[in-house]
Formats: sequence, C-alpha cells, structure tokens
Amino acid sequence: MWSRLLAAVALFCLVGAQSSAAQQPLDRPTLLRQLCGEAPEVLAGAQSTAELAATAGEADLDWMQAVLFALVDRRLSCGDDAVTLRLPAGTIVNASTLAPATESASGRTPILNLRSRGVVEPILAALNLLVGKDANVKLEALRAVEKKPQPTLLAIVERALKIERDPQVKGAIQSATETLALRSPDPEKQKIAIRRLSEEPSTRSLTLLLNLRSEPAYNANAGYKAALDGAISSIERWLAFSNVLATIYNGMSLASILFMAAVGLAIIFGLMGVINLAQGELLMIGAYVTFLVQEAFRAVLPGLLDWYLIAAIPIVFTVTATIGMALESSLIRHFYSRPLMSLLATWAVSLFLVNLVRVTFGTQNLQFVVPFYLKGGITVVGDFIITWNRLFAIGFALLTLGGTYYILRRTTLGLNMRAVTLNRTMAGCIGIKTRQIDRLAFALGSGLAGLAGLALCPIYNVNPQMGTLFIIDSFMIVVLGGVGTLVGTLVAAIGVGQINVLIEPAYGAVAAKVIVLLMIILFLQWRPEGLFAVKGRRK
Amino acid sequence: MNELSRRNVLQTMAGVTAGLAMPAILTRSAKAAGTVKLGCLFSSSGTMANLEGRLNFVAKMAADEINAKGGVLGKTIEIVTADPASDWPLYAQIGRQMLQQEKVAALFGCWTSVSRKSVLPVVEQANGLLFYPLHFEGDENSKNVVYVNSPPASSVIPAVDYLMSSEGVSAKRFFMLGSDYVWPRTINKQLKAYWKSKGIPETAMREEYVPLGFSNFQTLVNQIRKFADEPGGQPVVVLTTVGSSIPDFFREFINQGIKATDVPVLGLDVVEADLEGLDTKPLIGHLTCWAYLQGTKGPANAKFLKDWATYVTSKKVPFKPDVAIDPMVSTYDAINLWALAAAKAGSFDVPEVQKAFAGISFDCPSGYKISMTSENNYVARGVFIGSVNEKQGFDIIWQSKDTPKPVPFSPFG
Repeated sequence: MWSRLLAAVALFCLVGAQSSAAQQPLDRPTLLRQLCGEAPEVLAGAQSTAELAATAGEADLDWMQAVLFALVDRRLSCGDDAVTLRLPAGTIVNASTLAPATESASGRTPILNLRSRGVVEPILAALNLLVGKDANVKLEALRAVEKKPQPTLLAIVERALKIERDPQVKGAIQSATETLALRSPDPEKQKIAIRRLSEEPSTRSLTLLLNLRSEPAYNANAGYKAALDGAISSIERWLAFSNVLATIYNGMSLASILFMAAVGLAIIFGLMGVINLAQGELLMIGAYVTFLVQEAFRAVLPGLLDWYLIAAIPIVFTVTATIGMALESSLIRHFYSRPLMSLLATWAVSLFLVNLVRVTFGTQNLQFVVPFYLKGGITVVGDFIITWNRLFAIGFALLTLGGTYYILRRTTLGLNMRAVTLNRTMAGCIGIKTRQIDRLAFALGSGLAGLAGLALCPIYNVNPQMGTLFIIDSFMIVVLGGVGTLVGTLVAAIGVGQINVLIEPAYGAVAAKVIVLLMIILFLQWRPEGLFAVKGRRK
Repeated sequence: MNELSRRNVLQTMAGVTAGLAMPAILTRSAKAAGTVKLGCLFSSSGTMANLEGRLNFVAKMAADEINAKGGVLGKTIEIVTADPASDWPLYAQIGRQMLQQEKVAALFGCWTSVSRKSVLPVVEQANGLLFYPLHFEGDENSKNVVYVNSPPASSVIPAVDYLMSSEGVSAKRFFMLGSDYVWPRTINKQLKAYWKSKGIPETAMREEYVPLGFSNFQTLVNQIRKFADEPGGQPVVVLTTVGSSIPDFFREFINQGIKATDVPVLGLDVVEADLEGLDTKPLIGHLTCWAYLQGTKGPANAKFLKDWATYVTSKKVPFKPDVAIDPMVSTYDAINLWALAAAKAGSFDVPEVQKAFAGISFDCPSGYKISMTSENNYVARGVFIGSVNEKQGFDIIWQSKDTPKPVPFSPFG
C-alpha cells in the first residue's frame, strides 16, 4: 500500500519534471541568486542563460538581456531580501519582475572578475543579436560573438539567423555562421569558412588558419590544402600591405603633432630670432583654455558639449595670441638685441606660467569629454586601424599649414613679415613698421602654439608639465627644417615622424630617440642651415 | 607705453627667479623646544608632482595625529618638507641637507627606485634612516632603509600567479612594457626567470622599453595588438611605465579598441591618481596589485579615509579628498612605525631605533596587522589585486589571507 503510494508520488514528480523541462520555464529568482554569487556561480548562471536563450520566449529573452546588461554595467544591486536593477534611464526596478521597486538597504553590486566578464560579455552580445532594436547594435553584437566563439552561442546565432528580418543583418549573420563553421567536421564547410576568413585579413584570421594546417584533411585532401594555402598567402599579402599603411599613418600622426608644436616657433624663432622657451607653455595654456571652454559648454550648453572642441578653436587662438602679444610688448621686445637675455627671460616666463597653472588648477591631469566623433577608430584593412583622434590631429595640422601658408604668402601682413625676416633694416627703411610686425608675428606664433595644445587634448595628458615635453622636439624640427621656412618645418616634421616610427618596432622606443637625435646632429654638421635655408643677406 | 629700464627688468627677473626657487629651499619652521624633526623627500613639481605631492600632506596628517596623542617620548613631531623637483640627484642633495643641517631623526621619501638609489649612499654614509613607501624591485637590503612596501615576491608574483590561474585568465603569453630604468628592468628580469621556471617558452615573452615621460604609444599598441592575435594562448600586458606614460598608454589602448577581456593589462604602478582625467569605462577589468586599495572594508580604512577627507578640506590641500592610494597609506604607516619604534627604543638615535624594529606591529588602514622582524628591514604587508572600475578606482577582486613574509632577494634574479 505505502510502496504503491510512494511509486505514484514518484511518478507524479517525474511527469511534473518532464513537462517543466519541455516548457523551459525560466527560474528567474534562482538565476538572479547565481548572478549575485561568487565567481563560479556567476559563470554557471551565465552559461545556463546562454543555453536557455536558444529556446526561451521573447519576454524571457528581453529579461535576460536586461539583467546581463545590468550585471556587466554594474547596475544590479543584490540585497538579502530582493534583487533590484537600475535601468539605463535611471529608474530602479525589481530584477525579477522589472516592476518599479526601491533599492534594498543591504544591496551590493556584484563585481565581475576578468574570467566571468570574458564569458558574460559574449553572451550579452548574443542576446543583443536576438533582441536588439537597432541594426548597428546587432552588427556590433555579431562582431563580439565572432571574436569569442563559444559552442553554446552558436545555437543563439542560428536562432537569430532564423528570426532576423533586416536583410543586411541577416546577410552578416549568414556569413558569420559560415565563418564560425571553421571547426566543423565537414571539410566543405571548412573551405567556405576559410574563404570567408581570407576575405577579412587580419593576424587573428591568419592564426586561425595556420592552426588548420595540423588538421588531417590538410594532407589528405588536395583541394582543401590548396584552399588553405591560398588563403594564408593572400592574408599574408594583405597584412604586409596593411603594415605599410599603418607605418605611414603612425608616422603622419607623429609628424602632425611635431609640426603643430613647431609651427608657431618657426615663425617666432625664424622671424625674430627669439629663442622662445615659453612656447611649450603657450601650448599648455591652449589646452587649458580648451578645458575652460568645455566646462563653459557643460554649464551653459550641455546639449552641444560634443562640439566644444570645434568652438574652442577661435577662442584658444585669440586668448593665446593675446597672451603672446602681451608677453612681447611687456618683456621680450626689451631683449631683441640680447638673445641670451631673451632666452633667460622666456625661460623664467615658462617657469612662471607652469607654476601659475599648477597653483590655480592643481597638478592632476584634466579630464576631457571625448566627443563621439573622436572615440575609437575604424579597421581599414588587415590590422590597420585609423583612430579618429589622431586623424583629427592630422586634419588639424593640415588646416594649420594651409592657414599659416595663406597668411604668410597671400596677405600684406605675411608679405611684411617675410620682408622683415629677409632684411630688417631695409624693411624698416621702406616704411614697414618692424616693431608692429614683430608684435603681430609673436601673437601669430603664440596663437598657433595654443591651437597645437587644443589638437593635443584628445591625444595626450593635459597637465602643467605638458609643455616641457614638446619644447625640445619643436626646436629640433625648426632647426632641422631651416630657420624661418614653413616648408622646412613641414618636411622636417614628416621626416622625423616617419623615421621614428620606422625605427621604433625594430630597435625600441629608446633607441629610436637616440638614433633620430644622432641623425639630426650629423645632418646639421653637414648642413648647418637646415633643410631649406632662406636665401638672404647674412646678418 | 611705460618704458621699463634695464635695472627694473633685472630686478623684476631676480624677484621672479627667487620666487620660483622658493619651493626648493627647505621650508623651516621656528625651532621650538621639545620637537623632533622628520624629513620628507617628495616632489611637488616636475613629473612626479601629482603622485608624490600628496604624500607630504599624509606625513603631516600622521604627525598631527601622533602629536594629538601626546607625541613621541614627550616630544612633538615636526615634519620638514622640501621639493626635489622630480630631479633624482636632488633627492640625495636635499636628503643630505636634512640629515646634516636639519638633524632630522628619519627621512621619509622617494617614489621611483632611481631616486631611492640616489639617496641610498647618503643615508648609509650618515647612518640615517629612510622609510621608502613604494612597492619596488627588491634585491636590496640596507640597514639604513626601511622598506615599508612589498618586494616582488609579495606583490607582483601573486598577481602574475592570479593571471595565470584558471580563476584569472589562464595567461600564457606576456608583453612587458616599461619605462627605461632600474625598477621595470629588474622586475621584468625576475618575471622572465619566474615564467621560465613555470615552463613558459622564451617566444611567449616580449619586452619593450620607452624613455621616461614617453607619450606616443601608437606603434607600441599596434605591436601589442599583433602580439595578442598571434597563436599560443591568452596574452597579457605587464605594464611598468611610470608617471604620465600610464594615462597616455591607456588612452591609445582604448582608441585602438582593445578591451580587458581581449588583453588584460597588469599595471604595476597604476594608482587611482593615474586614472584621473581618463574615461575608465572602456578600461574596466584591467588589473593592478598593491598592499592597499581604497575599496578595502574595515574600521581602520574608514577612519583613514575620513581623516584624510577632513584634513584635505580643513587644510585646503590641493588634492582630492576622496582618493587614497597605496603610497599614501604606506607613508602613514611609515610615520607610525617610526613612532612605535622610537617609543619602544626610548630614544631617537638611529642605532637604537633600528634595534627596536624587531617585533613592532601596526594596524594598517588596509585591514592587515603589518609587522617587522629582526631578519631584515622589510615590513610584512597584505596583498590586494584590484580591477579598474568605471569610477576611476579599483574593485578588489582578490586579497591575501594574511601578510606573507617578505623575501628581499628574489630567487628569480
């Protein structure tokens, strides 16, 4: 009697368990408890989410995406009584029901360690692929899944392929599944994957393909061998090409920075022979003015904050040019006939400015908002990435070059400046106000230094010391290019930038610096006037 | 326009120069009876200013606390500060001045190993004491230096072990990137020998150095990307650049789109202050290891953080009230350890204080009871591994059970 009853109960339980397995109900509280636990539990919870996602209903998918997103983004709060999460919009909801709630007092935010993060992020990406609202979100998610292919995710990708409606995304998922079939037992599927990979050349693809050479099919199947070898050599060619492009880009990027730092000095040093050691500090002030403009935008026009960098251009130029002009009329003009004194005076000004900024702003690095148009970069071909902040610097350097060239060659001011450079006394004799030209030239040079500081904000640290980084390099470029020529400065910057970048991978950054300096010294021994000397009467 | 005469200009310039030189001159305060002087060698200008500058204030805060409790041996502590201006030989010069002219009872200072190495002969010759608050490369054991922070065996090696374990990322390949001076070179030498003993082949290690103050990391990050994509297993970067090279490196790392889950960076000199000015959201997950992290729980840390915040606001200190970094705590520990040793010795004489080190212990804000033995001048500290979070700080993801016994000389040298 009792045994029969027990058997009946056992049978009932079994049936119950089976039916629940068939419906796959999502046990939300258990899953949340796991995600709130220690690292192994988080991993287990994330894995079971990934397994459930291949079959779960849409409401459950949305829920899983919301919870994992909150976990990665640290918006989950695990209390003893309830788990809550903060939606990206800011409202606190119960993590199980997504109904509005208040955060538990005992709530603590779980921390993902690297291993869990490495597992959870691809799963979240796979979920985004299923429930994402936007094609770009989905494509980005697909790339993340492709980068870390896990077996459990393949089922999700297949499901996404079935339900996807957007033809562009569907095509991308299709080709991704083909690529992910690289490890499939079917050599034909593998061959398709190999072709796909060779169409996206990168060191990563190359590594994946090189691993395939140990497959049995490589020696057994001639067509397979040919496909693999062909793909590998094609990737290698593309990589060689992308390396050349990357080197040129890196060189141009360094050259643009050197050029901008040097161009103001080229005018001041070239035209007036003033060894302005405060040039680096004018650059630093340019960066600080940019910061102030950003803060002003944050306070007054928060909606347009991303455009502060563009809006700061005229302001930075005006402010630094004014400071330059004030410096010239109050101090430097008294030392025109004594270069040694002007060197000391500008050095004192530089120390003064550094300490002034240090006292006013502190020594820490300033925090800049990176505008959306300068964030990250784009892979062009192979391993060659164009980063927007450096492209901005290159573009900005070109604009500066164009603007300076225009002023020097096409305006009366430029004509007068060149006349004074060639022969100050004669220029004075024909009625050019040389003192006034000096002042304007100094203002122009200072303004250009300020603009360099602006362009460097998204690339380097902004702190009171930043100017000292550039002063030696700037003089090096100006002297190498030939004092007083814009073309010389440009060519010298490009030359030093490219040579640096060429030497660096082979001999290291320390040796690169030494070799470049030695080359410059030897070159100046041979041609003391620099690359392009201004032809004129010796003074 | 008012024409300035030459004399006027000269006078102004002399004034300006003197004004600028002021910080370099020792800031003496009136010598009161019943005080004992302690000297600080931390720069408040130059590349190390942002990091070292705050340590001067922590030393003063610790001294104020001890003075409030009645001082040491009935005397109040007076902190003497100076500015070595991040110029390594100047540390030695100012250190000598402090020992000989100011007659300080002990020196507290240096951040980079190169500055410590320059002060070392000075304290040995004068038989002074230098408390050094940074974790460093080890392989040094002078009776005149108290190594308040950890040698590699109790900081770097546990962190590397964590990265190589399955709990970490099962790291198999290592890209070492450092500034070109003694600390990174020695650390990397020891790490290479350590990995070799673990059966990691030479081909899985890359070593690159950059000049101090280097900022253009584009080519190097390219190389790291390439290294990461090559076969052989999970790559990690062991970063030993210092000063402004740290944020510059991370900025380029973010822009080239590398995430911590692709290539984690173990930044050995990265403190919260280095993350100021960076958007740390794309950096979440990168690691660091120290003997103290601000996130540690416990009453000692809560008290320290509260005291620092109060000190910063009441004394108008030009640093953030809510940021505490390991060297700050180590400096705080150092002053307290010295005070304990002097009280135990009953004297401020260096030989007496040295003898008293054995057996003293102090409740460090990190939550560990740190202690010294008669074996060497090292302090046994706890170990924390932290992971960068989005708030420019670190989350603790691992910490040691107790304070491992410090091993001054690495067997992997």
